[in-house]
Amino acid sequence: MSNNKPMPVPTQISAPFWEGLKARRLLIQQCNACSHWNFYPRRHCPVCLEHDLAWREVDGAATLYSYTVTRIATLPDFIDEMPQKLAVVELAQGVRINTNLVGLDEGEIEIGMPLQPVFAEVDAKGNRLLRFTGVDKDASSLEALPAQDSEPLSVASEQPAVQQIDMNDGPALQALVSEAFCDWSNVVVVDQALINAFAQLSGDDYWIHTDPERARLQSPFGGTIAHGALVQVLQSRMKLALGFEISGFTTQINYGSDRLRFPAPVPAGSRIHSRARVKKVELLARGTQLTLELTTHVVGQDRPSVINDLVILYIA
Amino acid sequence: MGLKGHAAIVGTAQYKPEKYATAPRMFHLEQVADLAAQALRDAGLKASDLDGLVINGPHFHEASVFVPAMAAEYLGLRLNFAEVVDLGGCTSVGMVWRAAAAIELGLCQAVLCVIPARMAPLGPDEDPGWMARSMRFGGHSTAFGAPEAEFDLPYGHMGQNTGYAMIAQRYAAQYNYDQRAMAKIAVDQRTNALANPQAMFYGQPLTIEQVLASKMVADPLHVLEIVMPVAGGAAMIITNKEVAARARKRPAFITGFGEHLAFKSPSYAEDMLNTPIGPASQRAFAMAGLKPKDVDAAQIYDCYTITTLLTLEDAGFCGKGEGMAFVREHDLTWRGDFPMNTHGGQLSFGQSASAGGMSQVIEAVTQIAGTAGERQLGRCDSVYVSGTGGVMSEQGALILQGA
Repeated sequence: MSNNKPMPVPTQISAPFWEGLKARRLLIQQCNACSHWNFYPRRHCPVCLEHDLAWREVDGAATLYSYTVTRIATLPDFIDEMPQKLAVVELAQGVRINTNLVGLDEGEIEIGMPLQPVFAEVDAKGNRLLRFTGVDKDASSLEALPAQDSEPLSVASEQPAVQQIDMNDGPALQALVSEAFCDWSNVVVVDQALINAFAQLSGDDYWIHTDPERARLQSPFGGTIAHGALVQVLQSRMKLALGFEISGFTTQINYGSDRLRFPAPVPAGSRIHSRARVKKVELLARGTQLTLELTTHVVGQDRPSVINDLVILYIA
Repeated sequence: MGLKGHAAIVGTAQYKPEKYATAPRMFHLEQVADLAAQALRDAGLKASDLDGLVINGPHFHEASVFVPAMAAEYLGLRLNFAEVVDLGGCTSVGMVWRAAAAIELGLCQAVLCVIPARMAPLGPDEDPGWMARSMRFGGHSTAFGAPEAEFDLPYGHMGQNTGYAMIAQRYAAQYNYDQRAMAKIAVDQRTNALANPQAMFYGQPLTIEQVLASKMVADPLHVLEIVMPVAGGAAMIITNKEVAARARKRPAFITGFGEHLAFKSPSYAEDMLNTPIGPASQRAFAMAGLKPKDVDAAQIYDCYTITTLLTLEDAGFCGKGEGMAFVREHDLTWRGDFPMNTHGGQLSFGQSASAGGMSQVIEAVTQIAGTAGERQLGRCDSVYVSGTGGVMSEQGALILQGA
């Protein structure tokens, strides 16, 4: 999860709501004068303006009023939630709440469907947001913070057989060239500690990478971002199942890059993964030259954070 | 109740929409003076005729308070009426009726309504990142105690796209949804822009297939159903009958208006699909003594295709739930049977912040004056104009009529 998401700052007026969520209880207000249920918290009733509201615990039974699935994150910090399932739900008491749907596939979402609350943990301090899921789901299993660790390649997924191709086998090599990318690699987390280590190693300690407090206030991204070069070299930590191996060479050289671009930022705390395709194969006098188009993306993001046309030279 | 129709828009000025990166940078005060001079020339009036000012308060570069006084001093105006309007995309429509009301009350004789929307030059100590940062939450307040900061932003609800997308999704669930009809709104308006050299997308034809193949932003809205933010700015001069008689062009009299707002997030609307433009338009039509079928053109605020669709329904051009069929069955171009957004709409003209809504008012004035060039309607005496701010939060309607 990104470090930079906007978090609620409770006020004297709203504190009982957020304290309730921490205790996994949903408290909303009802007017003692006219019985109107009120959300978001106020001092007064927006129907009769009487300042006589009582906090009451409700079970959170709700229906889906409307929703959208985002294809571009509303803020880069929400990339880990892509696609975001933003929703308006209506509680049985009639109040509407802007929220998220969790634990539901896109195909399961339908306006009017019954929902139940999820008291979703958002930090290690016990703060929670009020999200919703289907009534047939196990809401308590959706409460925990999403795993923040790097993920190894799923062992369950079947590894395709690796094809051995001789470096001089022109037709077999040309057959590797494809517009289609291989499957995604394992996931790597780019946290602030890793960014700091790279800053120290490279000497690039510009504040936009290393000073979370200043970046929160001044960066257009609302927080620190990883160095483009760091994200580029993390390629080594991401294992790709390309489905072939070149054989028959004595030396393999990383010959550099034909194109290197950093089109999108990687906010600190992002989970990244990569994929590749064979863009070009050339049989040259000095050896066989393979150009791989490698793209590294923040998980869930269409736009790559790194595009690298990596050139590998195999010498007999 | 209402206006007598004695005030008229007699002059307009509008910067050609441009990309922010390449548009000239000017102080907002400088733009106000420049746009005022252009609008006065268009009207055939003198600076000394002006005695009223309506200006945008929010996003004014050189001041956040005392904006009218600063602008009056800078321009050298002596004002009997000064007003700031803060209604987002509905600001321009809101400016027009406020100026007309002040004129009919006899407070003033000629009012400058102006919204500068080019960026200002960067100060020596200013950080170029400020604009990106100020746009980060897309108009959502991050102030301590702002309900949206506390109850929307943490969930990723921000900006406008997702709010409009949720309105469209609910529409689809309650009525029907024809994405080709939605795309046709953008395509017909592009056809209009092809006859408007001032439009951002002039010379770039568009097909329904291209709209549907464009990137999905938030289901069901494609990027080509969403306005492009551009640099610009616009101004209008509104005067009384006597001054209007001296104007160079045919004046557009303000004969009806309405305004309605009750929420910022449509999530809290009584019915998300029953938009505030309904009551606003009913009042405007009643005031002018017209029905929707009586107008020669509709200039409908179009930040998104869904905004236009719901306005067609709620303003009474068709019945509730009939918008998709209405769009399919009518040619919305300047050549068509229901000319709508004849300048291209903001979707094809470009949206210069809150001045974007003035493009719709100015197009109505231009059509009534008969100076629209290639896209000029054969007959144009009465035009409906709408304005929309926020997420269908604050809406207004105008009826403009040639004498």
